[in-house]
Amino acid sequence: MAKVFIYPATSLILSDLVARFGHTPLSAAIQIRERIQTPGLDSPPLQITPEEPKKGLKYAAVEVPSGVRGRMSLYGPMIEEAEAAIIINDADYAFGCMGCARTNELIKFLVRSSDIPVLDLNYPKNEEEGEEFVAAIHAFLKRLEESR
Amino acid sequence: MTEYKPLYVGTVTKYVFVESPEMTPGDLAIRAYEISQGVMIKETCFGLQITGKEEDVNAVIGVLRELDPTHIFVKDRGFPPGDPRRCRANLGGARPGYYGHEFEISLIRNVSRGLDSLASRDPEKVPNPPSPESGVALDIRKLKKIIESMEG
Amino acid sequence: MTKVRVAQLSCGPEYSGVQKEIDEAAAAVDAEIFYPDINLADIRRGSNEFGLDVRSADLKLAIARGKALVEGRVEADAVFIATCFRCAEAAIVRNELRRYIHENSRLPVVSYSFTERTTAGTLLTRMEALTTIARRRALLAREVQEGTTLGVDSGSSTTKAVVMIDNEIAGTGWLPTTAVMKSAQDVIARALDEAGVKMADVEAIGTTGYGRFLVGKEIKADLIQEELTVNSKGAVYLADTQHGPSTVIDIGGMDNKAISVQDGIPGSFTMGGICAGASGRFLEMTAKRLGVDITELGPLAMKGTSGNVPMNSYCIVFGTQSLVNALAAGSTPEDVAAAACHSVAEQVFEQQLQEVDIKEPVIMVGGTSLIQGLVRAMGDLLQSTVVVPHHSQYIGAVGSALLASGFIKGE
Repeated sequence: MAKVFIYPATSLILSDLVARFGHTPLSAAIQIRERIQTPGLDSPPLQITPEEPKKGLKYAAVEVPSGVRGRMSLYGPMIEEAEAAIIINDADYAFGCMGCARTNELIKFLVRSSDIPVLDLNYPKNEEEGEEFVAAIHAFLKRLEESR
Repeated sequence: MTEYKPLYVGTVTKYVFVESPEMTPGDLAIRAYEISQGVMIKETCFGLQITGKEEDVNAVIGVLRELDPTHIFVKDRGFPPGDPRRCRANLGGARPGYYGHEFEISLIRNVSRGLDSLASRDPEKVPNPPSPESGVALDIRKLKKIIESMEG
Repeated sequence: MTKVRVAQLSCGPEYSGVQKEIDEAAAAVDAEIFYPDINLADIRRGSNEFGLDVRSADLKLAIARGKALVEGRVEADAVFIATCFRCAEAAIVRNELRRYIHENSRLPVVSYSFTERTTAGTLLTRMEALTTIARRRALLAREVQEGTTLGVDSGSSTTKAVVMIDNEIAGTGWLPTTAVMKSAQDVIARALDEAGVKMADVEAIGTTGYGRFLVGKEIKADLIQEELTVNSKGAVYLADTQHGPSTVIDIGGMDNKAISVQDGIPGSFTMGGICAGASGRFLEMTAKRLGVDITELGPLAMKGTSGNVPMNSYCIVFGTQSLVNALAAGSTPEDVAAAACHSVAEQVFEQQLQEVDIKEPVIMVGGTSLIQGLVRAMGDLLQSTVVVPHHSQYIGAVGSALLASGFIKGE
C-alpha cells in the first residue's frame, strides 16, 4: 500500500480511486482533521493558527503571501511523505484548501521535483475519456505495487 | 487567545457520495443504519457522512460500496458532521469545499463508466487518458489535406 | 439591536490563521460575518461576466459572491474584502471588486490585505466604520450643527476639542497627547473657555480618535465614534461639499486614512498604519533635524524643490538618514523639507490612494494638512487642487460636535 499524494488534494474522484485500488490517498482532509482533533489555541474555522504560515517558511520565503505559506504548512509535509502522486492538471474549480493558484503552482513543482512517480491527467469530459482515465490510474497504481 | 478543546478525538469522518440511477441517498442511508454498529451516520443531499473509529467506518463503507460499486464514491473529511465552523446555516453560504464536490459530481458519471468497463478491458491495452498533452497541435500532413480538400 | 450583516469576500484568511480575528472584530461592533450563498454555476457565470480571468478559484468565488451582492441576489448591509498582503493576483481582484461594488451598489465596502500578524484590534476601526455606515445612515445624513455641542478627538499624537454653537465653531483646544484623560480635559477646558460657555451648557458630546472610548466614558459622551465616518463628515461639512462625491485624505500621527465619500458618507476607505515613514511622525522628525518647529516645516518646504534631494528609502530611519546625508552634502533645508513632504505624500499615494477612487474635490484634513509643502506634494501627485478647509486640524472634533447635535433632546 503506497501513500499517494493527490492533486487536487480535495478531490473526491482521486481520493476514492486511490483508496478503491488499495492505496492511501494523501488528501487535504487528513491534514485538516489532524488540526481539528488537536487541542491548542482556538483558531476557527480550520484550527490553522498564525503559527502555520511561519511553519510554511520552510517551503516559501517570507515575501510569499501568508495564505500560500499557511497552505504549504498543510501540503509540504504530505509531499515529503508521498511515495507517488496523481495530478489532475485542469482542476480549475477546486476551492478552499486548493483555492490559491500560487500555492497550487508550488505544490505541483515540489511534487515534480521530488523523486516519485507522477501520473499527469486531465478530468474526463466524456465516457470514453472516463474509461481511459480510470484505466490509467488503475495501471499506475498497479505498477506502483509491482515495483515495491 | 482561548483554549481549543477538540471533540470526536480519534475518530474519522468520511463522505459517501452516491450518484446512481439505481439508488438514492435515502436508500443508501437505510442500509447504512442497518449495519451502523457504533458509528454515527448523517444523511445529506448527496449521500452520507459516517463518523467513528477508522476500522468501524471502513467496515460500514466496505458493505455499502458493494451495493453499487461503480456509483458510490468515498472521501475523507476533516471535520465531524454538522460542525458549526463549516455549517452552511452558520456561514450564510456553502463552505468552499462544497463547490469542488459540485464540480466533480458533474463529471463523475464518466468515472463510473470507467469503473464499469475496467473489468472487461484488455489488460494489455495501454491507457490513453486525457492529459495536458492531449491537446497536441494538428499534424502538418493533416492540415495540408484539410486545406487541399477545401480548395477542391 | 439587530446585527449588521457583513458579507466577506476573501482569499486566504483561513489559511493565514486570521479568520478568527476578522470574526472577533465584527462581533465587537455587533456585526456578523457571512458568506453569500451561491452555487457552482454562479461562480462560472460570475467570474466570466466580470471579465477578470484569474487563476485562483477562491478569487473566482469572491468575484461571483460580489456579483451576487450587487445584483441583489444576496442581501447584505456591508462588504469586507480581504486578501493576502503581497499577492498581486488578489490585489487586482481586491481593487476591481471594491470599485465594482462601490460604483454599482449602495453597500459600504472596505478592503484589507492581511498578514498572519493581523489582529482584531487592527480591524476594529474599519469594522466599526462599516457598521456605522450601515446602521446610522440617518445620523450621518446630518448637515447642520444645532445647539451647543462639544466634540473631542483623542488622537495618537494630539488631542483636540471643539465647542460648536448654532452651526458655528465657538471655541477650540489643541494639545499634544500625553496622558489621554488629562490632555482631553485640558483641551476641553480651553475650548469651553474660548467659547465662553460652561460644561453644563453643553447639550451633547461626541468623541472620536484612539482614546474615544476612554474619554467618551469619562465625560459621558452621547456619541463615541471611529474617525473614518466622523472625519468624512467633518471634512465635507467644513469644505462645504456635503453633496456629491469627494475624497478625504488624513495623514495622521500613526495611521493614514483615504476615504471615498458620497454625500458625506464614506463609500469605501483604506486605513494604513504599518509604516511610520508615511506618517506625520516622519515630518516631525524632519523638522526636529532641521531645527525648526513643525509649523515652520510647511512654509520652508514651499520654498524648496524635492527633486534636488536623493531619497533612497521611505523608511523613517533610513529616509531620515538620506535627509541627513543630503544636508551634509550641501542641500538646502528648503529642499530637504520639500523632499520629506514629497516622500510622505508619495508613499501615501502609492500605497493607499490606489485603493480608493479619487474623485474631486480632494480634501486634506488633520494636523498634517497645515503643512503646505505636504499638501502641495499631494496635489502634484494627484494632479489636482487639494482643498484644505478652515479648522482642518480639528476635523475629528468638528465632525463629532456636528454629529453629536443629533442627540440633543433625544433626537
